[in-house]
Amino acid sequence: MNFRDAAIRLVILVAILAAWQYAADRVIGTFWISSPSLIAERLWLLHRNGDLYWHAEMTVWQAFVGLVFGLVVGVALGLLLGAMPRVASIVDPFIMALYSLPRVALAPLFILWFGIGLLSKVVMVFSLVFIVFVLNTMNGLREIDRDLISLMRTMRAPWPYVIRKVQLPSVVPWVFAALRISIGLAMIGSVLGELLGANRGLGWYIEDAGGKLDTTGVFAGLVALMIVAVLANEIVKLLERWALGAGRRQGVE
Amino acid sequence: MAPKLSIEQVSMEYGSKRLGRTKVLDTIDLTLADGEFLAIVGPSGSGKSTLLKLISGLERPTAGRILLDGESVTAPPPGVGFMFQRDALLPWATVAENIDVGHELAGIPREERPDRVAALIRLLGLGGFERHYPAALSGGMRQRVSLGRLLAYGPQLYLMDEPFGALDAQTKLLMGQELLRIWTTHRKSVVFVTHDIDEAVALSDRVVIMSSRPGRIKTEVAIDLPRPRDARRIRRTAEFRDIADLLWRELMGEDEEVSA
Repeated sequence: MNFRDAAIRLVILVAILAAWQYAADRVIGTFWISSPSLIAERLWLLHRNGDLYWHAEMTVWQAFVGLVFGLVVGVALGLLLGAMPRVASIVDPFIMALYSLPRVALAPLFILWFGIGLLSKVVMVFSLVFIVFVLNTMNGLREIDRDLISLMRTMRAPWPYVIRKVQLPSVVPWVFAALRISIGLAMIGSVLGELLGANRGLGWYIEDAGGKLDTTGVFAGLVALMIVAVLANEIVKLLERWALGAGRRQGVE
Repeated sequence: MAPKLSIEQVSMEYGSKRLGRTKVLDTIDLTLADGEFLAIVGPSGSGKSTLLKLISGLERPTAGRILLDGESVTAPPPGVGFMFQRDALLPWATVAENIDVGHELAGIPREERPDRVAALIRLLGLGGFERHYPAALSGGMRQRVSLGRLLAYGPQLYLMDEPFGALDAQTKLLMGQELLRIWTTHRKSVVFVTHDIDEAVALSDRVVIMSSRPGRIKTEVAIDLPRPRDARRIRRTAEFRDIADLLWRELMGEDEEVSA
């Protein structure tokens, strides 16, 4: 990224905000679309009284816990199914059916079963992300050079050795690809759960503000969500660069 | 002395009853003495790679049996090392780490491994590349690493499936020379599959020629060229040319049969 691009971006951002501010003050009215200055003011207030972090913490925590469970269970299940191709081909239609189901439609059930606390959101996030990890892990296993597995067999490598030395490293780039997709999904799951039933979280704050016809509150919540999502993506990028760089898995010097 | 390896009446079929079965190997009988360097030459479809897979225990024959040191092979046995045409290196491991895989799987104590790796690096002329990843190496160097891993594993029987088949002509010659130099020092048994007659004659004690579809043993020729040999220079001798010509004629006869 160079300075020129950054400057252009800044100009675009300022133009959008200015147009918004003008439309809010002179054309449409702040009741409908709030305004950048009101939103900034609200965010400042939420920052000062700590509410911003109180809500964001909940949303992020739910997404994070669900994501971690999804990753661990998904990768483990992917490795297991990869080791048992016959079982994998039998259960494949079930996995695809689950994958095709718009899982957000499960949210009311999860709230019914697990209440309006942490658990229902974690389960929601988990249900959105774990299949992505299963499918990507299995793909990664399928990409492994078959000669490599044959070679390990001729040298009588015990299976934990093959998992550690061959399968896990092959799967790592695929898990990171799944992680990049899953970050967005996890945020969706976490916020969706809060929209439907919660008493804390950015999703809940947005829902609550909407109910009070407080557009400024809705937009403040959205901006906070955007910042959280961008930060999460940057963290995954850093992790990926570190993990793949350390082992130079792509083999590029 | 009992043979290192004996292959008795071995046949191999692939496929299913419904889709029809293909016979890849037809009643192969073959023995290998301890310390012998055997080359198997044949056109594609002669089942030579399949034969190596059966010897290594990666696959089981549909008929007959394979004895290694007098014991029937039913799964990959200890002391057998395989080298493929493709290097099959771990792309995420360095040259030194890839070679060390052989030590780890042979159960060499951890404290001995660094010195052994260093010795192999020196033996194979890989000095300075210890910390390189396979993607940064040429095909020839990758096969050196692959050979290093095989030597690190220290098998009693080397199964080599066209190990230098993907290399350019000069590198192939050079690798043959190195293999011969290393083999001369420890004299382990080798089964070397190739479709290159000159390579087979230059390296081996005995060449088996196979015919294709189904694979059968057509002829065996003992290579009475003096040892130690220089795999490159020996090709210019008259004796070498005579044997190679004889083997060529045997192989060509095979082609005439196929086209007839």
